[in-house]
Amino acid sequence: MIALIRSEWLKLRTVRSNITMTCFAVALPLAITLLTMAFIGVDSVDDATVSAVLLGSGSLSVLLFGIIGVLAITQEYSQGTIRLTLAANPRRTRVFIAKAIVLSLLSAGLTAVIVLVGNTAGEAILDSRGAVGKLANGDMGQAYLGLIALSVVVSLLGMAIGTLTRNPPSAVTILVLWPLLLESLIGGLLSIAISDEIFKWMPFQTGLNALLLEDSNMDFGRWGSVGYFGLWVLALSLFAHTVFKRRDA
Amino acid sequence: MITVEGLTKKYGSTTAVDSLSFTVTPGRVTGFLGPNGSGKSTSMRCMIGLDRVQSGTALFDGKSYRELKKPLHEVGALLDAGNAHSGRTARNHLRWLAMSNGMSPKRVDEVLELVGLTDVAKKRVGQFSLGMKQRLGIASVMLGDPKVVILDEPANGLDPEGIRWIREMLKHLASQGRSVLVSSHLLSEMALMADDLIVIGKGRLITECTVPDFIDRYAKKWVVVKSPQLDSLVSAAQSQGMHVSLGQDVAEFHGVAAATIGELAAKNNVVLHELSTQTGSLEDAFLEVTADAVQYHGNSEAQSKGVAS
Repeated sequence: MIALIRSEWLKLRTVRSNITMTCFAVALPLAITLLTMAFIGVDSVDDATVSAVLLGSGSLSVLLFGIIGVLAITQEYSQGTIRLTLAANPRRTRVFIAKAIVLSLLSAGLTAVIVLVGNTAGEAILDSRGAVGKLANGDMGQAYLGLIALSVVVSLLGMAIGTLTRNPPSAVTILVLWPLLLESLIGGLLSIAISDEIFKWMPFQTGLNALLLEDSNMDFGRWGSVGYFGLWVLALSLFAHTVFKRRDA
Repeated sequence: MITVEGLTKKYGSTTAVDSLSFTVTPGRVTGFLGPNGSGKSTSMRCMIGLDRVQSGTALFDGKSYRELKKPLHEVGALLDAGNAHSGRTARNHLRWLAMSNGMSPKRVDEVLELVGLTDVAKKRVGQFSLGMKQRLGIASVMLGDPKVVILDEPANGLDPEGIRWIREMLKHLASQGRSVLVSSHLLSEMALMADDLIVIGKGRLITECTVPDFIDRYAKKWVVVKSPQLDSLVSAAQSQGMHVSLGQDVAEFHGVAAATIGELAAKNNVVLHELSTQTGSLEDAFLEVTADAVQYHGNSEAQSKGVAS
C-alpha cells in the first residue's frame, strides 16, 4: 500500500497543471490575506480580522483542492493512464484508497501551511503597522481546523465526482456549480415548498459553516457541520468506488 | 504460458468476444490476427482484467490476472502506446509505474537504456514521435521482466525501421523463453514476426496454427504453364474436369499439383516452356479466411470452407 501511495503521489506531482493549481490554492489566500493586512485601515482592525480574511479567502483554496481532486482522477482517464494503473494494480479498491489518501494528505498539509503562514504573517504585518488588539478568540483555532477538514472533504468530493464523470470539464463544472447554484436553487425551491429549515440540510452550505468564527451560529455545531457534509461525500465516494471497481477501464 | 478458455464479452446485445479459447506457448511469438473490430483489443483488455467478462478465463501460468500481486513481474502488456500523460517526462512515466509494483528507479533507467531512450528520458512524452512512444511502451512492458508479453498492434503507424525494431525485439523476447502475444490486422507483418497464429473474426476463433501451416492450409495455390501447344493441354485438362484460366500464352491450373500437369503434358506430347507452382499471398489467404468468418457464423463451417478452397 505504501508503494501504491508513493506511486500516486509521484503521479500527482509530475504533471504541471496539478502543480500550477496547487500553487494557486496556496498563494491565493495568502496573497489576499497579506495584502489586506498591509492596506486595511489600522483603526478598523479587531482581534478577528486576520482570521476572518484568511478563512474567507481560504474557502477559495478549498474549491481549488476540490479541482485538484477532480484532476487527480480525470487526467488518468483523459490521458489513458488509467489502463496502466489498473493493469499494474488489479485490486482497484487499493488504487482508489491510495489516491484518496494522497489527496487528503496534500490538501490537509497545504491548508495547514496556509493557516500557519497566513495567520503568523498577517499578524506580523498588523503588528508592524502598530495595530492594537491581539487575537485571543478561542474559536479561531477551531475555525482553522475546520478549514483544513473542509479542504480534505472537498478534495475527496472532487475525486468522487471526477471518478463518476471521467471528464475534467464536466467534473469541475459540477463541483463549482454544486455550492453556487445547485444548493441555492434546490434549497430555494424546497424552502418555498416545505420550509426555510431545508437550507440547513444542504450539505455544501452546511460544511462551509465550519469556517464561521462563532460556533454558536451553527445548527449542528462546527464539527457536526463538517461531519454532515463529510457523510454526504463519503456516500458519494462509496458510490464512485463501486462504479470504479465494476466499470470497464 | 497463457491459457484462454471460453472468453466471452458482451456489450449489451452485441457479442464482442465469443467463447474464445487459445493458448500461447513460451518461447514463441504468437500472432493474434483479425480484421479491425474483430475483438482483438477487447480480448486483450479482458485477459488482463481491465474489462469484465461475462464468462471464461484467461490464466497466466495457471493464475488469473487479478490473482497476481505484482502483475508487472508476471505479465507485461502494452495496449496503446498513447496511454501516457503527455505532460510527464518519460522517466517519470516509468517511475510511477515501477513504484506501484515496488520496483526501484534503477530499474527504470535500465529499461530506458534497453529501448534506447536514455537521452530523452527527461523529455515530455508529448514531444515524442510515435516510434519513441512505442519504445517507451516496450520499456514499460519490460519493467518487471515478465514471463508473458502482450502487445496490441505495436507496429501500427511505425516506419519500416521502427517495425523492424519491434520485430527483432519480439523475437529476442521469445528466444529468452517468454510467451509473446502480439496482435495485428496485417498478416504480412505477422508473417515476418510470428511463429504461431491465432486468427479471429467477429470475436470467434477461426484457426489456431503455425504460420507455415496457415499458408499451407489457406493460401491459394495454382500451377502456371507456358507452352507452344497450350490449346491441346488446356483441352486435355478441361476434359478431366480441371479448372483452367487462360492468359496470353499462359494457362493457370487451379486445384492441382504441378506434377499432375507435367504428367498430363507428357501423356499428350505437349512441350512445356514453363511449369511452376504459385502461392497466393498471405494477405489474400487472410482476407479469404476472415471474409468467411463474416459470411458464416460458425467457425467449423468457416474452417471447412477455408480448407476446401
